[in-house]
Amino acid sequence: MKDLGAPALFRLQQMQKKKRPRKPNPHLGPPLKCADRLREIMTRHYYLSRFVKGAKPVAWVTSGAPVELLRVFDFYTVYPENHGALCGAQKLGPEICSKAEDRGYHPDLCSYARIDLGHAFSGKTPAGRLPRPDLLFCCNNICQTVLYWYKELSHYWDVPLIVFDTPFNFKDIQESDIRYMVSQFEEMIPRLEKISGRKFSDKRFKKIISLGSEASLTWGRVLATMKHSPAPMTIFDAFVHMAPVVSLRGLPVSLDYYRILLEELEDRVEKGIGAIAKEEKRLMWDNIAVWFKLRDWSLLFAERGFNFVAATYTNAWAETIHYLNPESPFESMARAYSLVILNNNMDHRLKLMEGMIRDYRIDGLVILSLRSCKPYSVGQYDIRRLLGERLGVKTLVIEADMTDFRTFSEEQIRTRLEAFFEQLEE
Amino acid sequence: MTRKEYLVKQKEMGRHLLGVFPAQYPKEILWAMNIVPAEIWDPPLEITLANAHLQPTICSVVKLGMELILQRKCDILDGFLFPHTCDSIQNLASVINDYMKTEKPCYFFYHPKAPYGAAGRDFYRNHLKELIGSLEKQFGPLDPDTLKQRIHQGQKISALLTELYDLRAQGELNITNEEFYSMIRHGEYLFPDDFIPELEAFLSQNKGQGIKGQARVVLSGVLPNPPEILTLLDDLGVRVAHDDFLIGSRRLLVPANDLDDPFENLTESYFAMPPCSTKGSSIGERAEYLFRLVDATGAKGVIFNVVKFCEPEWFDIPNLKEELKKKGISTLSLDTELNQGLSGQMVTRVEAFVEMIG
Ligand code: SF4
Ligand code: SF4
Repeated sequence: MKDLGAPALFRLQQMQKKKRPRKPNPHLGPPLKCADRLREIMTRHYYLSRFVKGAKPVAWVTSGAPVELLRVFDFYTVYPENHGALCGAQKLGPEICSKAEDRGYHPDLCSYARIDLGHAFSGKTPAGRLPRPDLLFCCNNICQTVLYWYKELSHYWDVPLIVFDTPFNFKDIQESDIRYMVSQFEEMIPRLEKISGRKFSDKRFKKIISLGSEASLTWGRVLATMKHSPAPMTIFDAFVHMAPVVSLRGLPVSLDYYRILLEELEDRVEKGIGAIAKEEKRLMWDNIAVWFKLRDWSLLFAERGFNFVAATYTNAWAETIHYLNPESPFESMARAYSLVILNNNMDHRLKLMEGMIRDYRIDGLVILSLRSCKPYSVGQYDIRRLLGERLGVKTLVIEADMTDFRTFSEEQIRTRLEAFFEQLEE
Repeated sequence: MTRKEYLVKQKEMGRHLLGVFPAQYPKEILWAMNIVPAEIWDPPLEITLANAHLQPTICSVVKLGMELILQRKCDILDGFLFPHTCDSIQNLASVINDYMKTEKPCYFFYHPKAPYGAAGRDFYRNHLKELIGSLEKQFGPLDPDTLKQRIHQGQKISALLTELYDLRAQGELNITNEEFYSMIRHGEYLFPDDFIPELEAFLSQNKGQGIKGQARVVLSGVLPNPPEILTLLDDLGVRVAHDDFLIGSRRLLVPANDLDDPFENLTESYFAMPPCSTKGSSIGERAEYLFRLVDATGAKGVIFNVVKFCEPEWFDIPNLKEELKKKGISTLSLDTELNQGLSGQMVTRVEAFVEMIG
């Protein structure tokens, strides 16, 4: 976006902030140098959002939506799920959720949605201020929940909603599914032109597709560095460092960022620098992060020499991106976006997890059963059973929410974790 | 005859049986292939085995469906059909197909989500043909003339149900709420050749003056379960004047069309159905639909009887309540578990609500 004076203000704000040096933890390896750059990028992204209204069209977008198309029209994009994660990490989940609950939204609903609606009703956010959308752009490849949630926003703000409907891949994706998705793209373009006041450009679109796919592929390489022992980063790092591939995909900044992160990680691999001091066991995580426990748990596991080196969640932004092809942008985008883990059948999920367990030489699996998230959670009990039968992998299932800690049972989960640790140490 | 006895008899007659999960699917195609759809919504079972497969936060429609399979009560069926209704049904379908090894073929039917464009209509039309293609592999070829005939029967059923709903709305049915839904729900497993005469007989027997001056409400939600909600309203002298149930008006009251091409006809019918949370219909459309039901019946309030953990329904409720409130229409929402009865507190809330709208 045009500068709007924001970078200067941003620098000033940064200078005013005193840096608190973090005490080195004996169980962790040296922190990633890139973390500062990441903080800068994401702070800048949220900071600019305060000034964007009027300068650019603003779209609120679901995390799995084909954002490349919006970039052609120069939309400034806000990712409510990423914002939900931010609120979760800052332990603001219950407070903001309650603003939605006060309006009648049931506490059983997805907490990302409750945070977002709570923010819409109250303005409460740790990010200063989020710009109101000119467009809501929703893709149900991650869940149907986003469809229900975005139509609430659309009604509340009287803002247009565009849904990209991706048929669930029950057995094999059909040509008619692809045709349906491609036709939807074609139907969207005139609406996007009208809302944004900008023309579609095929040339620009192809360039953005290349940029987006390169960033996702690089993200995939970043994750693949964790195949090495010791792994140069942990999944707890990856949960944080995935923000650009989710929120800034299709922009040069995300590709630039992953290139420097990859370089740093490859350097660590070469020098044998691990993310934790002593990597005894390698673990895999299934589902979204428990944002309010990120730091606590990264230490808890590191203390015992357990390193999470793979996660189905972080992998989701790299898994299907090889389908993207600038020469057939719509068709390839239909495949890349509709075949993601949560829109794909359970057989696919099982095989994917089996492959990851082998490739990353996993000793133990932690499955988070999320009360917020039906598409991620329904089927997990069977996955546990089947992976146990097939690979004998030690597995723990914990029930929690990613941001709303009112239902979090500290003691119960601690006991289960301790038992799992003992099992792993056997 | 019980549902089970009926299904056994159908099987003996040479018909195929398909267990169909909620909610919307092209029944006419199944009928035309000599398949009886046996819908699985709320079988009267205690959930025990399903708890090993599904989390406590999953709705009881999904859990009861899974329980039915695990208790081996589906052995008589020739397969399952899963319409894409919500995330939970979607994953349940995939778990059953990929992990449970029931050795029964599983079919999946995806319907496009609103807001609809031309692409959605094309997709739906093609998808009907794809469903036929996959069913034919198991059940043999579909005869196009039979499909037309079954479409006519489907229209006949819709017309009869519309008449039944209209008579009830006008207070011209001499039956209880419980009797009404018990009749409607026979359509969840009866073949049209049997359902049509049963509906006709029911109409002619029960047409007549209902109780005068009854208080009226509209019920919304997925289905009228726990059934105690109906008996409670009966006891309180309240008539359910209309419903916005997924199991009820949202999929039963299909406006007629006279399109000759069967696929055009079925597509038109699908897109003309009343709005529904599971299809992604907007709040505006849903509120408008509820206003119409309330206006047409003189109901004084809307009761949302919602299955616990049902995301599609619970998301819409705050805005629907708000819109109804703006028009002076009272609302009550109940968070219910299937087959678990009504708690004392719920009974009190319904009683207080009825007194208020009295
Ligand atoms: S947490 Fe699950 S239900 Fe919520 S938005 Fe994400 S994918 Fe959808
Ligand atoms: S009750 Fe709701 S959540 Fe459960 S199967 Fe039906 S639509 Fe899905």
